[in-house]
Amino acid sequence: MAEAQAPPAGRARTEAPAGAGWARRLSAWLGQERVFRLIPFILVEGTFLLLLAIPFVLTVYISLLKWRANRPFEQAYFEGLGNYVDVLTDPEFWWALGRTFYFAGVAVVLELLLGFFLAMLLYREFRGRRLYITIFLIPMMVVPVVVGYNFSMIYIDSGPLNEILAPLVRLVGGDPRIRWLSHPIAAQWAIILADVWQWTSLTFLIFLSGFSALPQPLISAARLMGASRWQIFWRVQLPLLKPVIVIAVVIRSMEALKIFDQSVLLTFGGPGNSTQTVAFYLWRQVWQFNKFSFGAAASVLLLLIFSVLIYFGIYLLVRERAMLHKEGA
Amino acid sequence: MAQIVLKDLVKKFGWITAVAGVNLRIHDGEFLIMVGPSGCGKTTTLNMISGLETPTSGEVVIGDTVVNDVDPGERGLGMVFQDLALFPHMTVFENIAFGLRVKRVAEEETRRRVRQVADVMRIGPLLEKRPSQCSGGEAQRVALARTIITNPAVFLMDEPLSSLDAKLRVDMRTELKHLHERLQATFVYVTHDQAEAMTMADRIVVMRGGHIQQVGEPLEIYRRPANQFVAGFFGTPTMNFLRGAVAKEGGRPLFRAQSLAQPLPAGSPLTGGGGEVVLGVRAEHVLVGEGSKRGQVTLTEPLGDETLVFFDFGGEAPLVAKVNPEMHLAPGDRIAFEFEESGFHLFDAATGERLN
Amino acid sequence: MAGPAPARARSSFARRHHLFWYFRHAVLLAWSGFVLFPIFWMVLTSFKDAAEWVTWPPHWIPHDPTLHNYRQIFTFSQLGQDLTRQATEQVFNIWGALMDSLLICTVSSFVSLLLGTFLAYSVSRFGVGGKNFRYLILTIRMVPPIVVAIPILMYYAIMIPHTTEVLTGVRVSFYDTYSGLGLLYVATTLPFVIWMMLSFIDEVPYTLEHAARMMGAGRIHTLRRVVVPLVASGMVVTFLFIFILNWSEFLLALTLTHPNVTTLPVLLNKFQSAVEGRLYGPQAAIGTVITIPVVVLGILIQKHLVKGFSFGMIRK
Repeated sequence: MAEAQAPPAGRARTEAPAGAGWARRLSAWLGQERVFRLIPFILVEGTFLLLLAIPFVLTVYISLLKWRANRPFEQAYFEGLGNYVDVLTDPEFWWALGRTFYFAGVAVVLELLLGFFLAMLLYREFRGRRLYITIFLIPMMVVPVVVGYNFSMIYIDSGPLNEILAPLVRLVGGDPRIRWLSHPIAAQWAIILADVWQWTSLTFLIFLSGFSALPQPLISAARLMGASRWQIFWRVQLPLLKPVIVIAVVIRSMEALKIFDQSVLLTFGGPGNSTQTVAFYLWRQVWQFNKFSFGAAASVLLLLIFSVLIYFGIYLLVRERAMLHKEGA
Repeated sequence: MAQIVLKDLVKKFGWITAVAGVNLRIHDGEFLIMVGPSGCGKTTTLNMISGLETPTSGEVVIGDTVVNDVDPGERGLGMVFQDLALFPHMTVFENIAFGLRVKRVAEEETRRRVRQVADVMRIGPLLEKRPSQCSGGEAQRVALARTIITNPAVFLMDEPLSSLDAKLRVDMRTELKHLHERLQATFVYVTHDQAEAMTMADRIVVMRGGHIQQVGEPLEIYRRPANQFVAGFFGTPTMNFLRGAVAKEGGRPLFRAQSLAQPLPAGSPLTGGGGEVVLGVRAEHVLVGEGSKRGQVTLTEPLGDETLVFFDFGGEAPLVAKVNPEMHLAPGDRIAFEFEESGFHLFDAATGERLN
Repeated sequence: MAGPAPARARSSFARRHHLFWYFRHAVLLAWSGFVLFPIFWMVLTSFKDAAEWVTWPPHWIPHDPTLHNYRQIFTFSQLGQDLTRQATEQVFNIWGALMDSLLICTVSSFVSLLLGTFLAYSVSRFGVGGKNFRYLILTIRMVPPIVVAIPILMYYAIMIPHTTEVLTGVRVSFYDTYSGLGLLYVATTLPFVIWMMLSFIDEVPYTLEHAARMMGAGRIHTLRRVVVPLVASGMVVTFLFIFILNWSEFLLALTLTHPNVTTLPVLLNKFQSAVEGRLYGPQAAIGTVITIPVVVLGILIQKHLVKGFSFGMIRK
């Protein structure tokens, strides 16, 4: 049938496979709106259900048992909320939690300021702008594990960081070969720095988009009314950018609270426990100490805590996006 | 047979009723225009004819078949959209050929027919270009070509000219009229522009709030609007409206509004029991220069072939009159004016329905 | 009056403008240096011979550049004799991890793209899932992966084998398997695919599909000929984006795989912790191999990222 109709440049051939009436009917049935809208929905929701919902229920169940992984599952017995009590009374848990918020807080603030500042410098056209933007976006794409590794290399006592700082250190009379990662505070800042290095590029990207989305007529109008550069910045641009800023904060904060890779790579939680983030803490409990029930309880608790944060974050996101819509940016 | 009949067509979106019971018979070969303000249901009705929307209740009959359950592509219709909907990633040729290719028409015949249509629409040289490379008018004609090529009996058009600038719009209007004559097909056209409706339609359907207000030929709608809304919708400048009451005085019906007293032709309806009436007079029926009434000019708008004069007469709103451009009036001038007897429209103040 | 005054004003403005120009470039250059330095250092180290790894002061240019590290990680052999330090019996080569990473990342990105695009289309055209679906779907991303890892571990390693054993007598485990990790990667990247493809599909006016429908095209036909060509570039960008995400993914891979399945990040970590004397050279080589392709890919799609972000986040 296809041959008799002189197929238009091969198209008919794909459209009417020889003797494939059933394919056509299947195509037509699939194309029906009712079917069509349901299939992907079912598939996707099914995936989520299978992969996330059920395991979660399982975890809650396990968190109510007392079970260490080095003993077979059958030997676990019901314990009730004992694990939760253990978690909540473990000072390490709270320390890790607090530390995580501390890291995330400092890192996000730095990233926001830097990203904003850089975007401000780069949003207007000038020679070399493309190149700078390309360079600045690179850190986002580097595998976080590698970032951790890189920085660990830089921080070693015979590393380039020490060499750069050597003149200053010698001036103060110290030994330039500083083992940064052995000092708790320095190690913490190392983690923060690694995060800043990598993720400033994201806030930069967000702010860059935000700046270029600023409606030019408003700024021109302000200019004509005699506003100075400074005034335009504070009174026109900044308020217009508020939704973008909030979006950047929410997105970045959510991610920053999950800091894990660098903890493992750079310092493995050390020295001592000083760079143990809550993700790391949890990982350790389960994979190193095999305290499965304990870990299960901790993850349920963490999920609850994060849910509150997520809810709040989504609320902010939706609200700011709605505001952006209204302004017709 | 390309007659379309709409029977009790209703369309609801959730709580909102977009089309509330439309009954219409569209004649084979006529140029019918549905006109009305935004949200009046004209586009939804058109979409129900095309099949892109399914009616909540009611029937769409094309020819002599009820087509409610028939696919849009099987109804023998062609449609032109407001944004033209030209496929940006295909050439003009491929755009036009799309309908034929879907129906597996042989390549040679496809090529021939596309060339033919392209010549008719004068877009031959554009065939290898992309839609983005065409001007507004050219793209318009490509969209028409794409619709023509499948030889539909009915053409549906959803505000196709609204994206064009003023001059192009006027040119395309003429072109569409020519096309209609040449193709002898039924054209169902939707617009919010009353001038477009007046100039192009064989018949006009005025819609508002999901209901049909009036169906008729353009001049009929202009001369005898069925209600106040239709009266105010058509005609530039808008018709003058005066709120008042009609009572019998001295054997003749007399209309009183604020400071104005206007005798009406015998047989004009009276308002009984405190009901109010709206008297409508078009600008061209307001005669300035002589008469028993007095007014003061507030603004004049010279249009070239005539001048619009806005004036106060002591009522709530100013009136507007069309005068000869030779008459030189300026804001502040006192004038005498009169209404032409043949230009009276009386509407019930509460329902807006025509009374005379 | 008109003469001298404007001249004065001009020069002071020009001076201020120039200062700003210097300042701006100074800052930008400084940050560029900061950004590029760690990558530079890593690539540098990968070409250094063992003797130069931990010298003090560190060598900014290798005195004796060598491809030895690369050779080492790419060979199938066991440890070479030219190592001066004690090391574990781990097989050094990168091929296994490279293949594993490539396989899992490519397949799961593909599946995720297909599934997500379909759903994005449904959401865009039919409003499936409600008005705020696009935000709700992001919540999945916001959960810390560690919180997901533990349940999944138990699910994969215990519950499923237990259940299948009871039902069919065969122990089927998803722990340390390609499909196990791959499926999870699909689930974690789906929100992004949906989010991004939604914005791309929203850009395609639905009147195009209506027009095609009026001309008799069925839905599948319309999708193939009208919609997909217009979002094709968006699909490519999305694919690359989630590919990069999967490629970099560490936590889930660390917790749910190895030694049977080993992705590149896990391999790198194994060196970090397992080897006693740190083998900086080969580690740097592995790091380079992991990073450079991704950075190149990233540079290619960065223009789209910027545009995609504006439209996805800020504009639409």
